[in-house]
Amino acid sequence: MLTRTMSMAATGLVAALALTACAGSADSGSGGAAGKGMVAQLTFPAEVTGAAGGLGDFNPYATQPLTRFWVYEPLIIKNGLSCEETPWLATKADWTDDQTLAITIRDGVKWSDGQPFTAKDVAFTFNLGKQYAGLDKAGVWNDTFGAPAESVTAEGNVVTMKFSGNAAAKYDEIIKQPMLPEHVYSKVGDPTKYVDKKPVGTGPYELGSYNGRRLVLDRRPDYWQADKVKVQKIVQEGQYDASQAALKLRSGELDAYWGEIPNPEKTFVSADPKVNHFWFAPNGMTVLTGNLKQKPFDDPKFREAVSYAMDKEAMSTKATYGIMKPASQTGLKLPSMQKLLPDSVANSDTVIPFDVAKANQMLDAAGYRKGADGKRTNPDGSPLAVNFSVQAGFIDYQAIADVIAKGLNSVGVQTKVTASAPDSVDQQKKTGEYTAMLEYLHGGCELARNIGAKLSSKQFPTEKEVRSNVGRFSDPQVDATVAALEKATDQAEQKTEVGKLVDVMMTQFPVTPLIYAPTRILYRTDKAVGWPSEQDPYANPSDDRLLVLTRLSSAK
Amino acid sequence: MRYFARKVAFFLATLWAVVTLNFLIPRLQPGDPAEIMVKRLAGKDSQLDPAQVQAMRAMLGTPDGSLWSQYTGYLGELAHGNFGLSYTYYPFPVTEVIGQAIWWTVVLVVVTQVLSFAVGTVLGAYAAWRRNTRFDSVVTLGSTFLGTLQPFWIALLLIYLLGYTLGWFPTSGGYEAATPGFNGPFIQEAVSHSFLPALALLVVTPIGWVLGMRNTMIMNLGEDYIRLARAKGLPDRRIALGYAARNALLPSVTGFALALGGVLGGAILVETAFDYPGLGRLMGEAVENKDYPLLQTLMLLTTAGVLLANLVADLMYGVLDPRARRAQS
Repeated sequence: MLTRTMSMAATGLVAALALTACAGSADSGSGGAAGKGMVAQLTFPAEVTGAAGGLGDFNPYATQPLTRFWVYEPLIIKNGLSCEETPWLATKADWTDDQTLAITIRDGVKWSDGQPFTAKDVAFTFNLGKQYAGLDKAGVWNDTFGAPAESVTAEGNVVTMKFSGNAAAKYDEIIKQPMLPEHVYSKVGDPTKYVDKKPVGTGPYELGSYNGRRLVLDRRPDYWQADKVKVQKIVQEGQYDASQAALKLRSGELDAYWGEIPNPEKTFVSADPKVNHFWFAPNGMTVLTGNLKQKPFDDPKFREAVSYAMDKEAMSTKATYGIMKPASQTGLKLPSMQKLLPDSVANSDTVIPFDVAKANQMLDAAGYRKGADGKRTNPDGSPLAVNFSVQAGFIDYQAIADVIAKGLNSVGVQTKVTASAPDSVDQQKKTGEYTAMLEYLHGGCELARNIGAKLSSKQFPTEKEVRSNVGRFSDPQVDATVAALEKATDQAEQKTEVGKLVDVMMTQFPVTPLIYAPTRILYRTDKAVGWPSEQDPYANPSDDRLLVLTRLSSAK
Repeated sequence: MRYFARKVAFFLATLWAVVTLNFLIPRLQPGDPAEIMVKRLAGKDSQLDPAQVQAMRAMLGTPDGSLWSQYTGYLGELAHGNFGLSYTYYPFPVTEVIGQAIWWTVVLVVVTQVLSFAVGTVLGAYAAWRRNTRFDSVVTLGSTFLGTLQPFWIALLLIYLLGYTLGWFPTSGGYEAATPGFNGPFIQEAVSHSFLPALALLVVTPIGWVLGMRNTMIMNLGEDYIRLARAKGLPDRRIALGYAARNALLPSVTGFALALGGVLGGAILVETAFDYPGLGRLMGEAVENKDYPLLQTLMLLTTAGVLLANLVADLMYGVLDPRARRAQS
């Protein structure tokens, strides 16, 4: 453990050095002039699968656009980790009242065919979603999380979205949507069925060539912030599994990779610690969810007691080679959301420790008596057995489940693990026929949609849909809190409501956070520097690739 | 004539059963394509966003109506050759997606199968002719050993040895920078990219033929007509090839037809390992994504392939072996 921390620190040091170096070169090479300070080419894995070569489609609303990052751009980029916003195609977006969102569009942005980008394009994009529900990925026109929109109109450089009620919870998705050129997409009929072969975007790159496998994207000199884009060419090709990707990264055939590579320290970094780096940032957490409608997980005392029987350090080691740390019981990802913690827990360690004696003592106190065979029974004397469902093939989940089963058995709660196909586990979520399982709690900025949805009785899974509240936690007061949080548009208000949810997490244990789940990047610094890292967490490394790109500069 | 009519009727009945099962099986499994697509786009560790699932469902047009009306609709569409739009590659039609992939697999599989059939039968026949010699034991034992290995495992081994360590062959994809079509650079890239996948398949596929051919041939060599041929003083070569091998080949013909049709199964893993843009990979992907339209069409294609190959083998059998025709008419 110690050596790992030290090597992580060393990695950080190297990254920091590289960053200072980058700052130096950025000064000399600024101004967007080609040549000096520029990176000739970076190679990334393909974003689409290679099984069907030749099917090139840039339509950002298709299921497999050739790229989701480099051609069509969003309004505002919100760093998924720190929740800070970077204005992009919009310079700002404000709620003028809680039903009206005013988005101010940036001047001077041009589509790659030379036409100006205007507020009308933005209004056009959102209005398409009204006509074609398949494009409405932000749920603007329906009632998922907040009231549906009534109209989206453009006037001057301001787009006004009017909703029929409070729609604050839609904000984060609205600013993410890729903007379409009206002068192209208005002429293509049903845009969900349109195959976009010659994309016209506002983004930093335009199509160089695509031969069905290798996508070459060329830098646009007329991009609206061209001075920040130092990479001349992006090549994306090939879909790799973990071992192939590790080999390609080591040989330099790939410059960055966003997928899962187990034990990256050993398989990647150790090959060349000066050049090879990775950053797995906490982006959410793996949680234990019990079925709260059934014994024994219907009893908060039981849930609290067994939380102490879970060896989170062992899970971290076995499932993630110690990279992902034990998660806080608050349900918030720490430390990046530290400032949202209520005063009651702000200064205490909110990670529940592994303490078998305490778990035993709490179970005894709650009436789960130990029989002569060392196995506990329910307070009413009925036998106590936990059948733990785990997704077969999710190796990390299976490792975690084994640690949990071992811990529960050691405190006398008879537990066995049943692995079944992930689809079947999803089915169990829908029907509610399970005792306990592992699932994911996203740590995104839109807290009402994440921790809030996990606890809201409006988010019970239905027969047809997996929704967040898999455990079926239900408390009218919490529902009111989540509703208030959905509507909250200012930070102080948000903090108050989040505080109430944190209290519920800490006292009622509706779910038990185990270890953080990452958003990943593995990268090489031999060509470009300025990648995000633990020391410089300026972007969610996987989602905010545009933000990352504008920070890259030549390593030379 | 009745023999052939019966075989064709049997073919049609089986085809109907296949089409029906093809419709039913994917629908009996849990999992919602819209949810799976959204989850796939977002990654494993992600919360499903209800707005996105709703949009995806609107886009893909999830089947509604009773199972029966879906079934009749499906049959109608099939009759018109309309296979629908792929979910994974929305909005591309299934036929276009398959059209892109099919040639890769057809060339790879047909070449390897024909090669392994030829190599396998020749080796098997020779081993039988020279039975109990050193050659025979090496071939038989060697095949039995190799037969226990999985093509997928061999693929990984080849990638590591010939691809990364020696760097002789490219290890992923079907081609690189060339534009697909009938041109020199592309063909060269395609051939060099298909070398390792073909090799991975070639290590394992001949084994069935070797062992099968050797066993039937040995049985034939014990027959009276061989003894007669020997007694007449025919040259060895003629006895081996013209008499024993020819008769021993009969069961292999049926086997070969079946193997050609059913080869897709083995190709899935090998194609995945090499990121080879063929049908096998496509099928793996379709299963993973619950891409019903694509999956149904692929399964239809393979099962129809097997059935058709079977029919051809049956018909050929009738021509090759008069006994088969007579016995059943």
